[in-house]
Amino acid sequence: MGQVTDTLPRSREARRSPGPWRTAAGDLLRNRAALAAAVVLLVVVVASLCAPLYAAHIAHTDPFQSHVSGTTVVDGKTVPVLTPSSTGLGLGVTPIGPTWDPAHYFLGADNQGRDVMARLLYGGRTSLFIGFTAALISCALGTVVGVVAGYAGGAVDAVISRVLDVIWAFPVYLLAICLSVVLLTNGLRLGPLTVDAGSLWLPVAIIAAIYVPYIARPLRGQVLVLRNKEFIQAAIGSGAPVPRILRREVLPNVLPTALVFVPLMTALAMLTESALSFLSVGVQPPDASWGTIIEDGLGLLYTRPTVTIAPGLLIALTTAALNVLGDGVRDALDPGARLRGGV
Amino acid sequence: MSRSTRRGALAAATVALTLTVAACSSSGDDSSAGPTTSSSGTGSAAFQPQHKGGTLKLVAHAAAGSLDPQVNYTLQYWQLYQSMYDGLLSFKKVGGQESFTVVPDLATAMPKVTNSGRTYTFTLRKGITFSNGKALTTDDVVASFERIFKVSSPTAGTFYNGIVGADACLKKPASCTLPKGVIGDAKTDTVTVNLTAADPEFPYKLAVPHASILPKDSPTKDAGTKPLPTTGAYMAASYDPNRALKLVRNPHFKEWSRQAEPEGYPDEIDYTFGQTVESEVTAVQNGQADWMFDPPPADRLNEIGTKYASQAHVNPLTAFWYATLNVNMAPFNNKLARQAINYAVDRAAVVRLYGGTNLASPACTILPPGFPGHVDSCDYTKGGGKTWSAADLAKAKELVKKSGTAGQEVGIVVQDDDVNKSIGQYLQSLLTQLGYKATLKPLSANIQFTYIQNTKNKVQLALTSWYQDYPAASDFLNVLLSCASYHPGSDSSINISGFCDKGIDTKMQTALKSAQTDEASANKQWSAIDQDVMAESPVVPLINPKLIDFTSKRVGNYQFSKQFYMLVGQLWVK
Amino acid sequence: MLQFAVKRFGSALLVMFAISVLVFLIFFATPGVDPAARIAGRNADPATLAQVRHSFGLDRPLPVRYLLMMRHLLIDRDLESFVNRGSRVIPQIVQATPVTLSLVIGAALIWMTAGLLMGTAAATLRGKAADPLIMLVGVVGVSLPAYWLGEVVNLITQKQLHDSVFSWVPPPGYVGLAKDPGQWALHLLFPWLTLALLYAGIYARLLRGEVISALSEDYVRTARAKGLSERRILLRHALRCSLIPVVSLFGLDFGALVGGAALLTEVVFGLPGIGKLTYDALQNLDLPVIMGTVLYAAFFVVLANALVDILYARLDPRARHA
Repeated sequence: MGQVTDTLPRSREARRSPGPWRTAAGDLLRNRAALAAAVVLLVVVVASLCAPLYAAHIAHTDPFQSHVSGTTVVDGKTVPVLTPSSTGLGLGVTPIGPTWDPAHYFLGADNQGRDVMARLLYGGRTSLFIGFTAALISCALGTVVGVVAGYAGGAVDAVISRVLDVIWAFPVYLLAICLSVVLLTNGLRLGPLTVDAGSLWLPVAIIAAIYVPYIARPLRGQVLVLRNKEFIQAAIGSGAPVPRILRREVLPNVLPTALVFVPLMTALAMLTESALSFLSVGVQPPDASWGTIIEDGLGLLYTRPTVTIAPGLLIALTTAALNVLGDGVRDALDPGARLRGGV
Repeated sequence: MSRSTRRGALAAATVALTLTVAACSSSGDDSSAGPTTSSSGTGSAAFQPQHKGGTLKLVAHAAAGSLDPQVNYTLQYWQLYQSMYDGLLSFKKVGGQESFTVVPDLATAMPKVTNSGRTYTFTLRKGITFSNGKALTTDDVVASFERIFKVSSPTAGTFYNGIVGADACLKKPASCTLPKGVIGDAKTDTVTVNLTAADPEFPYKLAVPHASILPKDSPTKDAGTKPLPTTGAYMAASYDPNRALKLVRNPHFKEWSRQAEPEGYPDEIDYTFGQTVESEVTAVQNGQADWMFDPPPADRLNEIGTKYASQAHVNPLTAFWYATLNVNMAPFNNKLARQAINYAVDRAAVVRLYGGTNLASPACTILPPGFPGHVDSCDYTKGGGKTWSAADLAKAKELVKKSGTAGQEVGIVVQDDDVNKSIGQYLQSLLTQLGYKATLKPLSANIQFTYIQNTKNKVQLALTSWYQDYPAASDFLNVLLSCASYHPGSDSSINISGFCDKGIDTKMQTALKSAQTDEASANKQWSAIDQDVMAESPVVPLINPKLIDFTSKRVGNYQFSKQFYMLVGQLWVK
Repeated sequence: MLQFAVKRFGSALLVMFAISVLVFLIFFATPGVDPAARIAGRNADPATLAQVRHSFGLDRPLPVRYLLMMRHLLIDRDLESFVNRGSRVIPQIVQATPVTLSLVIGAALIWMTAGLLMGTAAATLRGKAADPLIMLVGVVGVSLPAYWLGEVVNLITQKQLHDSVFSWVPPPGYVGLAKDPGQWALHLLFPWLTLALLYAGIYARLLRGEVISALSEDYVRTARAKGLSERRILLRHALRCSLIPVVSLFGLDFGALVGGAALLTEVVFGLPGIGKLTYDALQNLDLPVIMGTVLYAAFFVVLANALVDILYARLDPRARHA
């Protein structure tokens, strides 16, 4: 269960000049671990983007098409992709295992006879897309909500804070599952906005929504402290309009914290996505994400463990890289910010 | 009926056989499944005292809800009720085709039927005692029939609405009495049941657990997790749906009819719940459990079929898995589009997804093989023939083109378990190939079945299955595809395709009528109706499944009743 | 201070109320969720369907249904499941609690010990090869999907190496502590380790950061100037102050886990705790049990939050106004 804690109301350097951004970039570039993580991420992203190339030109397969009765070539021999058992009582059907031949089921097939490697690459696109967009939306929304609540105070703050408390105290998976069950059967209809039940934007919206408090609460705390600082009071005293104070004085001070959360939130969102897909309430078939590939693979765990293990390792690698990069960004920008991860 | 979810039922239709006249004899051969009424006591071997004793350990992933035999509607517990509760009649407790036979249970003999099939007279056996020590009387029988309505038994309005006075009971269950419908006479130990119309299927309906006889002082609401006294070999000692169900011997049980309610072998039956299916397999393999309820997961099948082949028992079921095509919505309001799907579906692929040719066979008719009225016939196979041999994708594409429905959106609704979802993914991929914009919607098994029935949810294509309640052709055709089972806007509208063809409906009525006099002719009519329906293509029969029972090494005397599956109380653990 | 505490608990109650309403509304907004047809059975006739709907009170207006459900849950305490009629919700939760507590307390002991050791070690070995190595282990732990790790652990201990190294591992499941303490520990060993691995890294990373910043604080410099040993400085001063955020974070994590946040671990290892109960109820769409478990979980999260807030209010008066 991941949460961003706001349990550290320690005073922070109140105001930053534009200079620190450049310092931070320099810090980050000198952080070798963060650099290595960035390289790993880059490789994962590029590989995922190349998914259609791999499927069309190397594996020559459509990873969204079932090949239940299909055949393939291994060591020059034509073999079925799914082999029914022929010994004993002849129960069960086993998909082809890893052939280590990129042209013919490099990592084997899943229970639909689809190429696991090609699906992994496509799954990476989905998982990264969901993780990154959900994190961005969550951070942006959380910043707005946090800043408004913290700056406005009074009734506005009270209402926003209670709403955040409700989302916060609602167990993450329960909230996500409850929302998913409703949205996956109905789709989402909010005024002019219509999202189909199978759309990728649904998991994005659900994950973004449940993590808003994890961003908004610490930022609200920061703004509360900021509001009493002399330079803000001075700005208010000078009669500057509120939007301008927010933009010129408040936002630059909380933005580093919000930015620090992006990679860490992306990691968290990816883990959440995979968990939701595991519970069959995340990405819907035939779309593939690493989570759904794991779920598809669990039915084959004893005979073809690769189908489950490979996407899990990719999730671990990517989230680990995001976490290391996130730590680097935090050390560079805002050493006080903190994110809780794990499930 | 299904193994895992609350299912199964039959509209109160009259059907093809008269039970007082033995229709055709059972040969134990799968292909001739004419229901029989033979009460000749063959089949049940004599009790072998050397195997008596021990504790039989069963495991299931989940419990099946209320333990009340008049409320529970799952095969998981109906299987256990075989050796717990008794009705006036019951299905014969033997393996094989004979298990479709109805035999007298608490009644001394098959009922005397008079008044043109509307009056059934039973004589109650003497000396039967409930597990709470009280003697069974005619009052208990009368109270039990009233209780069917008082507890709103699932089949109250479909199986038992023909009893005189049932109408009032269905409207006001709390004050239900059946003074003219079920009459007990304590002096002569007779019970008379009056029906409003002849119902040749009625003896079947008396043999299912909802017509179990319970003590007259049983609570008039669903007893839930509180076990009710039994008449059979076992009684429930404790029940916690999250943990375990424990059955022990009924201390007052004395065997009165070996074929209706045989003495059980194990002293105790422990049924535990909550394990993952994977660990159930492991537990049976290691002998920590004797039998698992759930179908073994796909990746363990090969292991079970080879290393543990002697412990696996595979039996064909009179059931079918099928896809429903909504005939009232585009694109499947177009007959050509519907036929295209029937041509396109590769049944062999579905068989593979289900676990291979030894676990399922391709289906091309609505009535399963071995069922009354089934005749091999297949309109939708490549190259023609009586049985399905291969899909005809070219023909299907041509029909889609001709229908002008290509490019339309089709939503496919399936249950979210592994097997259903994988078949759903296959169908989605196939429809995409045919040129539709197909999307897949996997729903929790618990809501999918009611969701796909309600026309408000606008389901175009759904994957579902139907398991017989008892062996009668009307249980498939009349229940699933008659106008009477189509209730727009209701969660309970079993005709999921919304198929209502006046001509075919008339033929069904005729078949039901002729069943009262000439069963063979009725079955012929049913097989013609099956083909008429298939020509309209409102459903796509996919497979006829088989069931694996995986038992531990020490278990002996495995017998499979086609009606209620493995006879639990007959297993040897010694 | 007291006023703050009262206010805090007042808002906690409000939050719990809002959550219960939310669960209720989400449930009845789901199509196909009406339990009447499922309870009534396949192809039930309309009259039976109506009777069942009536007997569960499902034909009454939503607010009445809500109030009735809450009365049965909180006042009469006899709320019954929709799926297993006669099975009461509260005893189910009471029964599941010890399982979850066994899992969470055991795992917490392991991850706190490991986290503290790793964090302190990494902080003191800063700049040496061991530091990034320890942190890498921590990061990997945080980055693993819980259910995947559990499945892989099961695969290895129950299948791949079950015939050799792990032949002593019992099948997944739970054995009561009172029934057989040895088996209890054996059954929980891998769930403990799995859960602990996911959390140890977080605490190690947190502690490392705190200790490093504490070591550069003035009071540490003063202590050094006084000539105290590094070891004494670390244990007596730096570590002590660094533990405050660790303990507060622990409070939140522990509250959430006791409330059922270890859902995936419990499901994968077949432990019949709160998380598994919740999961099963969601699978069955059994509203009374979902309501019971969600409120139970929310209670612990809210309680942990309130306690942590109050703790901070004591330590830092400014937070009272926040």
